[in-house]
Amino acid sequence: MSALKIVTRDAATGPVLELLGELDYATAPELRDVLATVTLRPGQRLVMDLAGMEFCDSSGLTALIIARNHAHAARADIALAAVPARTLRLMNIAGLDQIFSLHPDSDVATRP
Amino acid sequence: MMCRAGQQSGPYGADDEEAANASFAALLEDGAEELYENAPCGYLSTLLDGTVVKINATLLGWLGLEREEVVGRMRFTDLLTVGGKLYHETHFAPLLRMRGEIGGIALEMKQAGDKRMPVLVSSAVKHGEGGQPLLIRTTVFDARDRRAYEEELLRARKAAEEARRQAEADRARLQQALAVLQRSLLPDTLPAIPGMETAAHYRTASPDRLGGDFYDVFPLGGTRFAFFLGDVCGKGPEAAAVTSLTRYTLRAAALHDPDPVSVLATLNEVLHERYTGGDPRYCTVVFGIVDPDPESGRAAVRIASGGHPPALVLRADGRADFLPTPGGLLVGIMPAASFATAATTLAPGDALLLYTDGLTEARTGEDRTALYGDAALRAFAADHAGEPPGAVMKALADLLDGFGDGLDDDTALLALGVPSRPAPGPATKNTP
Repeated sequence: MSALKIVTRDAATGPVLELLGELDYATAPELRDVLATVTLRPGQRLVMDLAGMEFCDSSGLTALIIARNHAHAARADIALAAVPARTLRLMNIAGLDQIFSLHPDSDVATRP
Repeated sequence: MMCRAGQQSGPYGADDEEAANASFAALLEDGAEELYENAPCGYLSTLLDGTVVKINATLLGWLGLEREEVVGRMRFTDLLTVGGKLYHETHFAPLLRMRGEIGGIALEMKQAGDKRMPVLVSSAVKHGEGGQPLLIRTTVFDARDRRAYEEELLRARKAAEEARRQAEADRARLQQALAVLQRSLLPDTLPAIPGMETAAHYRTASPDRLGGDFYDVFPLGGTRFAFFLGDVCGKGPEAAAVTSLTRYTLRAAALHDPDPVSVLATLNEVLHERYTGGDPRYCTVVFGIVDPDPESGRAAVRIASGGHPPALVLRADGRADFLPTPGGLLVGIMPAASFATAATTLAPGDALLLYTDGLTEARTGEDRTALYGDAALRAFAADHAGEPPGAVMKALADLLDGFGDGLDDDTALLALGVPSRPAPGPATKNTP
């Protein structure tokens, strides 16, 4: 039983990864594995929908940074949607709010 | 067939039984003396003084002796090895005298060609009609197989013990190596800063695991000292390698240009160049410079933060406030990063407290689901504001103890304060 479920879907802007559950030291490798299978074309936007993410620690933030590196390596963009308040606080402390575009929900994030 | 012809009988009839008994009897009759001589065990009878009066062929065969040289000429103990003889005299014979019989004692007998044969010996005293002891009957069982088995067991046990000893030695060596490495990550002692007091505390969440938190204090020349505290993402040896690189980079960078933002920018460049792509390694760190002024008894503090939780300032009057450093980015994830700066002045009785998020992220409550958090830390700090750094540190160490298994992550703590009363040393004569 995994504490993290990742649902992948395609939007007009590119792939959307919906993270459900906990993104931490134990589950972060699963996000890495899924990212490796996601194909991104230049100019697309990888959207991480965090509305269902219940927990995120520093390992989880690292996984999000890896997602960002993955997107940028493909000359694509990355956006975070519906970041939970507690994670947003961690991201503010770490300055990560400066390097991710943040959106209130995945609808907004997938608007071309 | 032993059945008589013409007689009717079933397969298990009385006649068959009779016939079988007869054949057993014939065998047994054949055996009485034969059995004694060639039994699969040794027999011997001795007088009470041990002189052998009767011995069977099996035992003679084992020992490679002739009957003539044994009977009437040798005692039982003459057949034993030195060790066997000794054991016989000290244990076997006294017990036999006391109990009248003794069974299953392991002894060693001498074989031809200076060989020794492990045996199991049982003896019983034969008494006369008046109850007086007459002689001793002894059976000797070949225990070579059993001895081989025991030796095999012993060898296996020794091998297991050796393996365990080796594993323990390896473990001790590994722990020693870890301890040495851990010391390379953290200073043994903090240098004394004239006119200031410092205290630090490090709590590992797991004793076998190298920590990813770090801190240090070192002189910059003149009256200024540099300090830093941080947290490398991840755990284990990979994180420790980053910690080590981080610590020495910060020290070297500060000697070159101690401006806090410049120091963090150098570290950022080093980490980003070294670790990038699918295995990003970064850290959060607060780097600062403290410049105590002996004239005023105050210490000017300048810090820069890269993604680290805000420092706390504990004032002599009992206040505790965060020293916010918003917007500073994690060190090492971007080729060029911006860092936040802050400054404050510590008056006598004030202290600056740096901590890693192992403290604020400690799980609290009965079900360990709540987090300790910033507000609780600030309130705790306010309770201890005005106390010297050593006392604040002691209180925080006790607080960490109280979290028990709610501590998931390592925690590093560093406090720098100006004593409320003049400290001994350079500050003393200049204190107003």
